[in-house]
Amino acid sequence: MATQLQTASAAPAAVAPWASLEFQGVGKVFLDTRGRPYVATRDINVSIARGDFYCLLGPSGCGKSTLLSMVAGFEPPSSGRIVFIGGERAGERVSPVVAAGVDRSMIFQDAAEALFPWLDVEENVLFGPRLRSARNRGCKRNAAHYLKMVGLHDHAQKFPFELSGGMKQRVQIARALIMEPDILLMDEPFAALDAITKRSLQVEVSRIWQETGKTIIYVTHDIVEALILGTRVAVMTAGPGATIKRELEVDLPRPRRTTDIAFVELVKVLEDLLHEEVHGRAGESSRETRRSIA
Amino acid sequence: MPPVARRLLMGALSIGTVLVLWHWSVGTVFNPALVPTPEQTFAKAWKMMQSGELFIHIAVSMRRVLVGYVVGCLLGILLGAVIGRVALVRELADPLLELIRPISPVAIVPLAMLWFGIGEISKFFVIIYATIIIVLLNTAAGVSRTPITRIRAARCLGASEYEVFAKIVLPSAVPYVLTGMRVALGFSFMGIVAAELIGANEGLGFLIMNSQMLLQTDQLFVGLLSLGIVGLIVDRIFRALLARSMRRYMQFLGDV
Repeated sequence: MATQLQTASAAPAAVAPWASLEFQGVGKVFLDTRGRPYVATRDINVSIARGDFYCLLGPSGCGKSTLLSMVAGFEPPSSGRIVFIGGERAGERVSPVVAAGVDRSMIFQDAAEALFPWLDVEENVLFGPRLRSARNRGCKRNAAHYLKMVGLHDHAQKFPFELSGGMKQRVQIARALIMEPDILLMDEPFAALDAITKRSLQVEVSRIWQETGKTIIYVTHDIVEALILGTRVAVMTAGPGATIKRELEVDLPRPRRTTDIAFVELVKVLEDLLHEEVHGRAGESSRETRRSIA
Repeated sequence: MPPVARRLLMGALSIGTVLVLWHWSVGTVFNPALVPTPEQTFAKAWKMMQSGELFIHIAVSMRRVLVGYVVGCLLGILLGAVIGRVALVRELADPLLELIRPISPVAIVPLAMLWFGIGEISKFFVIIYATIIIVLLNTAAGVSRTPITRIRAARCLGASEYEVFAKIVLPSAVPYVLTGMRVALGFSFMGIVAAELIGANEGLGFLIMNSQMLLQTDQLFVGLLSLGIVGLIVDRIFRALLARSMRRYMQFLGDV
């Protein structure tokens, strides 16, 4: 508990309690290599409540990661805005998402690039806290706590290159959690992992979400993953000019079982929605093509 | 056979073969006035070591190489970091660097004499020149190739612009910088003969050129061999020292 108080007080004032994060008419336009504008996403209107596990589900190249980048503050929206709304203290104050900061922490798909290869696991996790206070005794205890949470306490002295893909992602998660961010942004974090590792990490992320109550925005192209994790799933249309096609509440009990009837029903719904995007509305929805999307 | 033993054996085998061939070819293939036998060369080297003359030449050259190399590396890293980090500077510097690259250290000798005279400074200048470009180019490449993901990860952890540079970009560039420094070490040894074209009366480069004028081929061979052996030893020391102290920055690339 003490650790939580300590980091909360160090957080910047911009992280004042908020009730929801809103995308208001958000669009992103890139210049392609020939300098012509390319509309990646448009008209995104979404409201994510504090504490949501919000999954963005869509076909490859639909601009899911771009949305995450804009929330993280790595790049600004070309149109519209992303704002925090409300909060007990701030009344209905609206504050736009500004540059990257410790209140929103990103878990990247490519852990090998995201981790700092010259630091061992513990030093990676302590990177953020040590930027604030060079040698804080509490830091190390804190690191041990979060390494334990992701099951890496026996590997603290290892370097990233000595770890498997799944373990690297665990380091990233611990490194983000120690900053006590308001929002965890996860960009297809388990897409490069084998199926078994992937499943066990999904279960753990679900547990960590329940334990910490963080808001999580999770990008994926995997229907089952979205349903195992999300409280809400937003299906995106195919790009260019991608936008939100449909939002789905998922109020199945946790831990979720992929073989439950209710779960399978939702898989069907999402498969049909995605199928329309990949093959067009008139496309045949044979079982084979459905499977290939999942 | 263990790999170390195999390497030693191969080394002994190749050097032994060359010595035998060398011994045999003098008088049969080559004119003995132009190529001394290995025995003559080693006898000369022994004599020069006993009198201390050889060590003076080595020491004088090493001092020039060391000063020029260290200054060249420092300047190269500094400039390379700026060029790699600031896109505008990089765009402006690129054509200039491409222009300078083909100009060898020997070509810079007349300029060094004009600018700095025939003292030590002009010799340092030539070695610095031989060193700086490759270190600069490698540092710039390393700095500009830091994965964007790594920089973004640091931003999420609260790193400022300066902290991103000092704690992420520079460490990410270390393998590139060290590679550049190692190549530059070889270049600085290649530059010593050029540097000692300038009014030198000591040093291995001087020894080699002076032997040519005096037609002392055995002494010339001693100079060449010394240059090779000293270069090899310094390279080994460099690898042992720097690569070990920088281990954490290199290990993920495999064996150094």
